[in-house]
Amino acid sequence: MKLAAGAFLAGATSRLLPASIPFRYFGAAVAYHLLAWIALLPDAGASPRFTGGLGWRLAALHLVTLGVLVMSAMGASLQLLPIATRQPVRFKRAPAAIWWLYTPGVGAVALGMGTGAALLLVAGATAVAVALLAYAALIARNLLGAKGMPAVTAHCWVALASLLVTLVTALSLACTYLGAPLLERGTALALHVAFAPYGFMGMLVLGLSYILIPMFALSAGPDVRNALLSCAFAVAALLLAAAAALGVVPPLARSIAIALAGVAVALHLLLMRTALRTGMRRGLGRSFRLVRMAWALLVASLIVALGVALGAPMGGIATLFGLLVIVGWLLSFLLGILQRIVPFLGAMHAARGRKPAPTPSALTAARPLAVHFWCHVAALALLALAILTDGARLAVAAALVGATGAAAFGVFFAGVIRRMRRPPPPSQARVAQIA
Amino acid sequence: MSGPAKADPGPADGSRGAQAARWVDADGVHIDVRGLAAPAPLVAILALVATIRDATAVIVHHERDPKMLYPELAEIGWKAERIDAPPGEVRLKLTAVAAES
Repeated sequence: MKLAAGAFLAGATSRLLPASIPFRYFGAAVAYHLLAWIALLPDAGASPRFTGGLGWRLAALHLVTLGVLVMSAMGASLQLLPIATRQPVRFKRAPAAIWWLYTPGVGAVALGMGTGAALLLVAGATAVAVALLAYAALIARNLLGAKGMPAVTAHCWVALASLLVTLVTALSLACTYLGAPLLERGTALALHVAFAPYGFMGMLVLGLSYILIPMFALSAGPDVRNALLSCAFAVAALLLAAAAALGVVPPLARSIAIALAGVAVALHLLLMRTALRTGMRRGLGRSFRLVRMAWALLVASLIVALGVALGAPMGGIATLFGLLVIVGWLLSFLLGILQRIVPFLGAMHAARGRKPAPTPSALTAARPLAVHFWCHVAALALLALAILTDGARLAVAAALVGATGAAAFGVFFAGVIRRMRRPPPPSQARVAQIA
Repeated sequence: MSGPAKADPGPADGSRGAQAARWVDADGVHIDVRGLAAPAPLVAILALVATIRDATAVIVHHERDPKMLYPELAEIGWKAERIDAPPGEVRLKLTAVAAES
């Protein structure tokens, strides 16, 4: 049996989920990314001192968290985990069904928050919660049969457990606006702020990094014992933070939880540094500049979190913490990874029925990514400056620059789709004839 | 030069470590990545491919279809060809496209 590169790639794709599954998640994330920056515009001037409450700032925040971070994490994990765990997705139609429930749900949540329509918010939150529970069940089913990769599996289990805490607290907070909270608002908020970014998204990001970073750097897998140790410290940090939020332990425990999280992050970053230093591929480009920046801002988020826990007398410190953890760490990291993973998966899927397969680099348009990189960095810096100086105009400028960057990222994504569909360039066509 | 006819695939739970068995046979350089946890097979195969400077083929002994390998191969101008293998094994012949032109 002889297969040319393209045809063989086509054979390889037979066990993958259809391209429409991951790409619909990534496409929705790209669209919500742009909408998030646009949603920030109406109240951007008041953003530097934002600490919560209904309005377009809360909508913008959740367009990022639910619309971009969770959306792209779902798309990536549904595609990559089955390959890593060597277990296929059991229910083939579930990923698409989840997307159809989740995506409008996020829109309803954002619209409900922005316009103050509590019923719309609760309806959207319910749809999002049901979709995420279905996603959790799908991933849990996959993890149950995982062979090897204990560090990745452990992180994913912690992420799923944290997702449950996140959902309960999110629904409680949404119901607050109907006058019927499930938990006391302060408790629910404290749990939500710890478990949504660090517990659910954070552990998913740290766990999947043990596959993705060595895969992109072409290095050996990280030391499993240290990865599990990092996971254990993170679990201890989350449990202590939960105990502090519930009032079971004194408030000082929050600082200890942050210190434990710091140890977990330090161990993780040491493993990532080793992977990058020992990898065969050194030139990882602009995408990994975003990833490295994200790691630095993860550390910064913990330092600022300590300031919040200790009651540092600094205006806007809680907002700065939110910016660092959501935009600085998670959004930067995911956008960095997305710009590598989208062309990579695109190359795998585009080969179906096409000879030769396009390479990931042939699917990547560099210019929109360059525009996005600088806009993302500038928007982040402007927002940080706006918070530090309570500068309304800086926040408006940040929203405009961020929206420009998000639009550029959209151009990159659309370019990948377009290039996946068009005939190969002459140089590749020649390779096809040879093959 | 010939090496062992068949390398020890190790346990199926990915606990064999990061070492891939290599040997040279008449049809090319062989690499057995069975039992290695991801992404070790990908890295080991690409590391071997990077050392090939002539038309020598690389024969990969794998336990599954290495989906992540193909875009990487295409990127460096190599192609894969599936060849006969015993049940439970995926065997690939990798060759540089330029070497055939």
